[in-house]
Amino acid sequence: MSLKSLDPRVTRLNLPEGEVPAMEPKPELDQFETYEAFHQKKEGTAYTYVGPVHAPNEDVAFLFAKEQYSRRFACTGMWIARTENIQLTPYGNDNDNVYDTIQFDEPTQRSEQPEPYEIFHLKKRGKAHAHAGRVMATSYQEALQEAKQQFGEKGPIVNVWVVKSKDVLQSAEEDKDMWTTIPEKKYREAIAYKVMDKITKYKEENKPTTAQ
Amino acid sequence: MYGGGNVFEATKFDDVQTEDPAKLAEFEARIARGEKIEPTDWMPELYRKQLIRMIEQHAHSEIIGALPEGTWITRAPGFRRKMAQMAKVQDEVGHAQLLYSAAETLGKSREQMLTDLISGKSKYSNVFNYPAFTWADSNIISWLIDAGAIVNQMANAKGSYGPYSRALERICAEEAFHLKYGHDAVVHMATGTPKQREMIQAALNRWWPPIMTFFGPSDKMSTHTETLMRWKVKMASNDECRQQFLDMYVPKIWELGLTVPDPKLKKNMETGQWEFTEPDWDEFKRVINGDGPCNAERLAVRRTAEERGAWVRRALLNPKAKYVRPLA
Repeated sequence: MSLKSLDPRVTRLNLPEGEVPAMEPKPELDQFETYEAFHQKKEGTAYTYVGPVHAPNEDVAFLFAKEQYSRRFACTGMWIARTENIQLTPYGNDNDNVYDTIQFDEPTQRSEQPEPYEIFHLKKRGKAHAHAGRVMATSYQEALQEAKQQFGEKGPIVNVWVVKSKDVLQSAEEDKDMWTTIPEKKYREAIAYKVMDKITKYKEENKPTTAQ
Repeated sequence: MYGGGNVFEATKFDDVQTEDPAKLAEFEARIARGEKIEPTDWMPELYRKQLIRMIEQHAHSEIIGALPEGTWITRAPGFRRKMAQMAKVQDEVGHAQLLYSAAETLGKSREQMLTDLISGKSKYSNVFNYPAFTWADSNIISWLIDAGAIVNQMANAKGSYGPYSRALERICAEEAFHLKYGHDAVVHMATGTPKQREMIQAALNRWWPPIMTFFGPSDKMSTHTETLMRWKVKMASNDECRQQFLDMYVPKIWELGLTVPDPKLKKNMETGQWEFTEPDWDEFKRVINGDGPCNAERLAVRRTAEERGAWVRRALLNPKAKYVRPLA
């Protein structure tokens, strides 16, 4: 016997009915590695953390993030970084500046060429990390030190993320048109549904008639 | 969309006495100050366990909840409704992704959560174990189940766990469309031909009993529940959510000239509380434990999708991949 459903497509799957052997537990990494996505809501604003995606590589992560995080709301750009490549400071209390609590080691010898790092700040717990800027450094530690000097003064900073610029996949300027939403998709907006007119009309037509 | 009805059972980790008192005091002080907890913070085992359980159930409810509505995409009347129904189902699956990630930051892998869903070890909202017989059933789900979900999610968004709050904020923003879309669909039927009215009333009659169980049975007020409320894991009691839902939606049902199939349903003006026939909690328990009209189908469909897609995931897997928990 196969499973009968109200949905003919499910019936056509010919799924076994009744007791079935338990599914093998999903193997490790069946759902791939995680990547973190940052979006830009409006031209000229800072890239802000939107959330993770699971993907087999950076390019697929970009596509998934685009679907997941830019589908419903305005977006003008997206950055993707492998979770593994992001280093973070401990979380401080709200209103603290976490830079003040970090012990920096003696400056490392600049044996290597400095390279760019992207710095993200979390201003309040529960909010999202936002891009503070880019620094040149030879290590994550040094990047953090640079970041403290360049943008560590302003206001409370609860947590800092540091990632090498080369490890961030950034959407390209010339691909900007991929973010434009076509107007025919208005059916996804609450504002497209004007129910009140129908309800008022219905009530008008179905008023209880008062006795003459 | 979400299944509420979290039953906060006592767990073996119930005993917070075993936690480090200094760390526990710091943790509680943070929540009392209104600060959020972030993934790398110290947290009591009970907090972690209950949040994983709650967020995971929420995520499962999103993907399983997409099934009864997804069924109706091909049969939705008209192109515009097909597009909207598709967009809604896509949103629900997206919500599952957000929620699985939030649960993952607490230490349970997505593989494990999906395995537990299919084995029946983890639950999802019980209402999705009932069938959507007609297009009108799908409309009632879109409107009233989503409405219930929003009541729940708005409360939980104010909870103390940062990643869950962030996910819920996004989810609530997307749900605004679902609610309006569902309401519009119901209004269309209710103000349409006599046949359409009859269909929507029949669907409402079928769905009302499951809807009344949506928020779960009354909470047993135990020390356990009090602790979870103090830690802002549980933000409102099941009864409070149910009352709020009735306050907001019963008038909207009545204004369409539809009836609610419960002769006892009325608002007691003195207490300000809705009175209603007590839902059949025996049936609720029986169905949540597997014996409902659609349990087998829902899990079989989910399992088939997992199994038939496995080779694609294996083919794509980077052999050097290394698992790291998402950051936030």
